Amino acid sequence: MATYLEFIQQNEDQDGVRFSWNVWPSSRLEATRMVVPLACLLTPLKERLDLPPVQYEPVLCSRPTCKAILNPLCQVDFRAKLWACNFCFQRNQFPPAYTGITEVNQPAELMPQFSTIEYMIQEDDLQALKESLQMSLSLLPPDALVGLITFGRMVQVHELSCEGISKSYVFRGTKDLTAKQIQDMLGLSKPAMPMQQARSAQPQEHPFVSSRFLQPVHKIDMNLTDLLGELQRDPWPVTQGKRPLRSTGVALSIAVGLLEGTFPNTGARIMLFTGGPPTQGPGMVVGDELKTPIRSWHDIEKDNARFMKKATKHYEMLANRTAANGHCIDIYACALDQTGLLEMKCCTNVTGGHMVMGDSFNTSLFKQTFQRIFSKDFNGNFRMAFGATLEVKTSRELKIAGTIGPCVSLNVKGPCVSENELGVGGTSQWKICGLDPTTTLGIYFEVVNQHNAPIPQGGRGAIQFVTQYQHSSTQRRIRVTTIARNWADAQSQLKHIEAAFDQEAAAVLMARLGVFRAESEEGPDVLRWLDRQLIRLCQKFGQYNKEDSTSFRLSDSFSLYPQFMFHLRRSPFLQVFNNSPDESSYYRHHFARQDLTQSLIMIQPILYAYSFHGPPEPVLLDSGSILADRILLMDTFFQIVIYLGETIAQWRKAGYQDMPEYENFKHLLQAPLDDAQEILQARFPMPRYINTEHGGSQARFLLSKVNPSQTHNNLYAWGQETGAPILTDDVSLQVFMDHLKKLAVSSAS
Amino acid sequence: MAELYVKPGNKERGWNDPPQFSYGLQTQAVGSKRTPLTKRVAAAQDGSPRATASETTAGHPPTGPPPPSNKAPGLPPVGSCSASSVEPTSLPVIESETLLEDVLRPLEQALEDCRGHVRKQVCDDISRRLALLQEQWAGGKLSMPVKKRMALLVRELSSHQWDTADDIHRSLMVDHVTEVSQWMVGVKRLIAEKKSLSSEEEATKVLTEVTTEENQTVPGFLGAP
Repeated sequence: MATYLEFIQQNEDQDGVRFSWNVWPSSRLEATRMVVPLACLLTPLKERLDLPPVQYEPVLCSRPTCKAILNPLCQVDFRAKLWACNFCFQRNQFPPAYTGITEVNQPAELMPQFSTIEYMIQEDDLQALKESLQMSLSLLPPDALVGLITFGRMVQVHELSCEGISKSYVFRGTKDLTAKQIQDMLGLSKPAMPMQQARSAQPQEHPFVSSRFLQPVHKIDMNLTDLLGELQRDPWPVTQGKRPLRSTGVALSIAVGLLEGTFPNTGARIMLFTGGPPTQGPGMVVGDELKTPIRSWHDIEKDNARFMKKATKHYEMLANRTAANGHCIDIYACALDQTGLLEMKCCTNVTGGHMVMGDSFNTSLFKQTFQRIFSKDFNGNFRMAFGATLEVKTSRELKIAGTIGPCVSLNVKGPCVSENELGVGGTSQWKICGLDPTTTLGIYFEVVNQHNAPIPQGGRGAIQFVTQYQHSSTQRRIRVTTIARNWADAQSQLKHIEAAFDQEAAAVLMARLGVFRAESEEGPDVLRWLDRQLIRLCQKFGQYNKEDSTSFRLSDSFSLYPQFMFHLRRSPFLQVFNNSPDESSYYRHHFARQDLTQSLIMIQPILYAYSFHGPPEPVLLDSGSILADRILLMDTFFQIVIYLGETIAQWRKAGYQDMPEYENFKHLLQAPLDDAQEILQARFPMPRYINTEHGGSQARFLLSKVNPSQTHNNLYAWGQETGAPILTDDVSLQVFMDHLKKLAVSSAS
Repeated sequence: MAELYVKPGNKERGWNDPPQFSYGLQTQAVGSKRTPLTKRVAAAQDGSPRATASETTAGHPPTGPPPPSNKAPGLPPVGSCSASSVEPTSLPVIESETLLEDVLRPLEQALEDCRGHVRKQVCDDISRRLALLQEQWAGGKLSMPVKKRMALLVRELSSHQWDTADDIHRSLMVDHVTEVSQWMVGVKRLIAEKKSLSSEEEATKVLTEVTTEENQTVPGFLGAP
């Protein structure tokens, strides 16, 4: 800038500021002698087309009387991650998000050209959630009753009247209340006569029930749409370095109490939408200081999670009450950090509610998963059922040891109940408050016949499953399934028993047992138990010569079982390393209720290969399957991964798919996308979608799942030329099988 | 006739966000056109992977382009080349501009029909939202697909196809919630009120017919001294 004129213009363009004096007289006396006062014209919202999008909160000086914002004039010590406020000279620590800054990697607000900068405070997450809720009103049946509770520092129960003014009852988020207190405060009276279905033939409201908080959709949809549209962030300001106050525990308690007092024993869902962890009141999972991170597995192992036990207890109490009332709780948690799913998991697991975990409400993962809750079957009925009770009866040679799945015990004793419990035992009846056509329970039995007692000729054992439930059309239905299977003498007819083994079902049932144990036992103990069972199974059913591991063979009906166990050991259900407690809880939640096919996918992901050498085919989940000239599609249930081999990726980069004479290459690229789409269109919850290629950073999703038959350790020992070596020290399936066989044939085991 | 399309997910908020399917695609009867991908390959008994049949060139960098279409035996297409592919297929745009009037007039007419039968406050509420619809449409805030589908909705409403109209409103709420959420609930209520009104009219019509018949068959009753 040669002249001051340019300097002045440049500053106006950059900062929207024009000063009367651009060099300032240094004393008061001199300044008054200048006649024209030192002053400026400021255009705060001057149009700037070149401001960078700064999507985070400003960093403030920590001195309470200063609170100036970090700017290019501040002195910064990049090594110590400190900055000195240029107004009050306070030395401040940079927040954790700034740990990566260096002289060459500076945040925008430190750069001189950004003397003016604008911070965008993200509101679009709340907006996305509001829209999803408004949309859901269109998906609900018109006579469904709905209510709304919002919470932050306080908890508000909204009165859904049809007249103009919206009212709400406000509760403090710090104090838990009993069901009775809540019902009294909300003015609900206990109905004197037994409840009818929520949707009876006459559309009259039940005279004894206050309907101020729960109204049919067709009456209040317009009001509720407006109410949702007007929801704002919690007006209580969040000071820097603190988390927003979230009274999730009290909000849930009020919701449970409200439904308890108005519609016990009728199908109902409490849907909890949360964008962060509970930080206040009963059920809080972490304090409000940002510098104290939320518990990790490491903290839990070292017994360093101070809120965990108490919070878990609070939610367990709520979950059990909800289940007793026949209602279910869904949790929709969308945040970049953990939200306390570990402590709250009993709410969904015990009641049969859904658990959805996402990064933000403004993602298609959340939006579509949420839409799918309201999906309908071919008859136009919702795919959800309520208030189910399952009763199991057995012929006298069998007893019931227990169930693992989204249920609670009804404590019904009887002759079929075994004393040896597996899962939720000690009963022959369970309650499943919320379920859908894929909900699957694992039921474990005990054979109580005396050894060597004669089997009647053609004798069969029988089991009857009686499920009573409320169909989504509100009709009550009873489904009865009766099955029988032949008895066989294991001494003389082991081959028959062996041939009738269902290795897939067995793998899932054993896996459920393992995961159930992992909730209360140490990880290594569970793995040891699992290994023990596998060795014993191999000893029993393998064909081998003693002490000769090379002679070991398993029949066809067991061919997949060992590798299921191998992959199960490495799965996120039993390996918590690399996952947060919330993530582990999320994976285990889905594992404990899916049907066989989906459960197997979770244990051992499916891998399909697409190439010019033939039609798409399943391939071994092994590093040797990763070849340069094929595309792989991996389905882990939670993720769909498409991986392009090196050659394919290079062809794609070169653009061959756009040339007409290479149309078959275009089809090849498209085929896995189409198959992936089929899966994405149907699955609940919606999986994450990863489209990557050889050398891509996201290829790690594939590499961490495949059996590492070729690693940097054995690259030259194997002598195979194909496949990609995996950089890991994990045991491979080959090593695992070697050990297994040695232990199975050994007489010492 | 809802649109069938797939949009990419929100890459800013979730790098592995799955693609978004339109309401039409999601509610399609999910009869699988392909065999489901659920098969597995058993590892050899010693755990080592079998030598894969497709051995490629021993070297690393690719030599040359992919096998061209005419030479290669042609990849057997997986199932059929599905029409609902990843590209959003836009129907050939017939450039007849969907007019605001064509949509608003029938809606206002429907509202008029409902006045007198439905509570005043509800009618006012619906009217307020129709005004909002008009404002947004005139202000160019609504996209082409929304306008087209609204025209369709209104047509179904006028032909008394309540369920179809309701389904179209649902598809708009799912696919375009940001644009329509403020006023769509009014349209939804209008459809519901018209539906219940017309079924009432049907009922009274039938009753009147029956009564008229009865009167005719028993002439002796009437006017008997």
